[in-house]
Amino acid sequence: MTAPDHAGDAADMETLYPFLYAGGTRADALLEDARRSAEAKAAEIAALRADLADRHGEALRRCARRMAEAFRAGGRLLTFGNGGSSTDAQAVARLFAGPPPPAPPLPAISLPHDVATLTALSNDVGFEVVFARRLAALGRPGDIALGLSTSGGSRNLLRAFDEAARRGMVTVGFAGYDGGAMAEAGTVDHLFVVPSSSVHRIQEAQTTVYHVLWELTVRALEGAP
Amino acid sequence: MAEGRPAAPAVRDAFERRAEPGRALAGQAGDVARACRDMAGRFRDGGKLIVFGSGGASTDAQHIAVEFVHPVIVGKRALPAVSLTDDAAALTGIAAAEGLDAVFAAQLDLLGGPRDIALGVSGDGRCPAVLRGLETARRLGMLTVALTGADGGELARRAAADHVLLAGSDDPCVVKEMHVTLYHLLWELVHVFLEHPDAPEPDDAR
Repeated sequence: MTAPDHAGDAADMETLYPFLYAGGTRADALLEDARRSAEAKAAEIAALRADLADRHGEALRRCARRMAEAFRAGGRLLTFGNGGSSTDAQAVARLFAGPPPPAPPLPAISLPHDVATLTALSNDVGFEVVFARRLAALGRPGDIALGLSTSGGSRNLLRAFDEAARRGMVTVGFAGYDGGAMAEAGTVDHLFVVPSSSVHRIQEAQTTVYHVLWELTVRALEGAP
Repeated sequence: MAEGRPAAPAVRDAFERRAEPGRALAGQAGDVARACRDMAGRFRDGGKLIVFGSGGASTDAQHIAVEFVHPVIVGKRALPAVSLTDDAAALTGIAAAEGLDAVFAAQLDLLGGPRDIALGVSGDGRCPAVLRGLETARRLGMLTVALTGADGGELARRAAADHVLLAGSDDPCVVKEMHVTLYHLLWELVHVFLEHPDAPEPDDAR
């Protein structure tokens, strides 16, 4: 969550919003600059998303089949992430557990939202263990551990994947940039990397990827190849 | 990972369902810019952002709050924002006493003021708690912004917010994806208006 966005520095701002820096103070010009910027960002995410079908299509099908197997065998989905990604973890859990009909509800728990446990572990042990310890307490072999990060380098996620892999869970990871440490760890069975250096675009594309993963998992549960 | 190989039809179809709503999002750019100009005006006057939504949209509310309070771009100032979806004691307490539809309205009554901004998220525009929240926010003189989708439901029909941003899809998953882009844009462009020395007064302050 602390990685710099590519639109962040002042030079970029000047390129993106020329009217603001040209001495023009007309309200319409400022508004027009903002409008054009919004339009450009919308086009950027559309292009990034369109590239994901080929990039991750096969891996998504494979992961969905594996998750369907796990659910069929009584496995549950445990999700985690930090900051904005914690809200994605909760959104993923909610989608699986309370999907739009007629999809079947599947057992899923979001780990970041137990504030008592989260703050207890952070205070008493350290922030790196907040998800690993909860996976150790809740997770069983055959469960699915799904973690979301933009940098791929969050230490508490890496620790969680270590723990999940050690316990025989299916591990699913989301990252951005080049996948960071999550791509190197050897503990993430199914890793989906969004190749962008913008935290915002990464999160937007990840939302699509986990929605498609859910859709394919439901299809696989229905017996689709 | 099998990178670069053509995807299977089911996968391709899933991604293609995002293409048209994604293109349509660019058509909202003017509305987004105007919403940001007005939001920046409220922040400049010392107002805060109060965000709410039910179910999956409650996670968007939390994401929006953290986005404004703790920006991903280093050096951007923290802006005051709070999500009404995180306090289980408040939510269940209000729901038990006044009904589920009141969970946001009751909190807004206590926390909201005329300089503040209310941002309600409802993917189909039919969430009674969000509609009541926006009604209360209006009564309090807050700037009201809504993210919705599909046909916008009651929310769009009633024009329940000063700025209604609509994601054009019937699929709740696709609507959420468009909302994530929309609120990232809201955050980014609010800062553009805030940082510009000659930024105009918002329409509603003229």
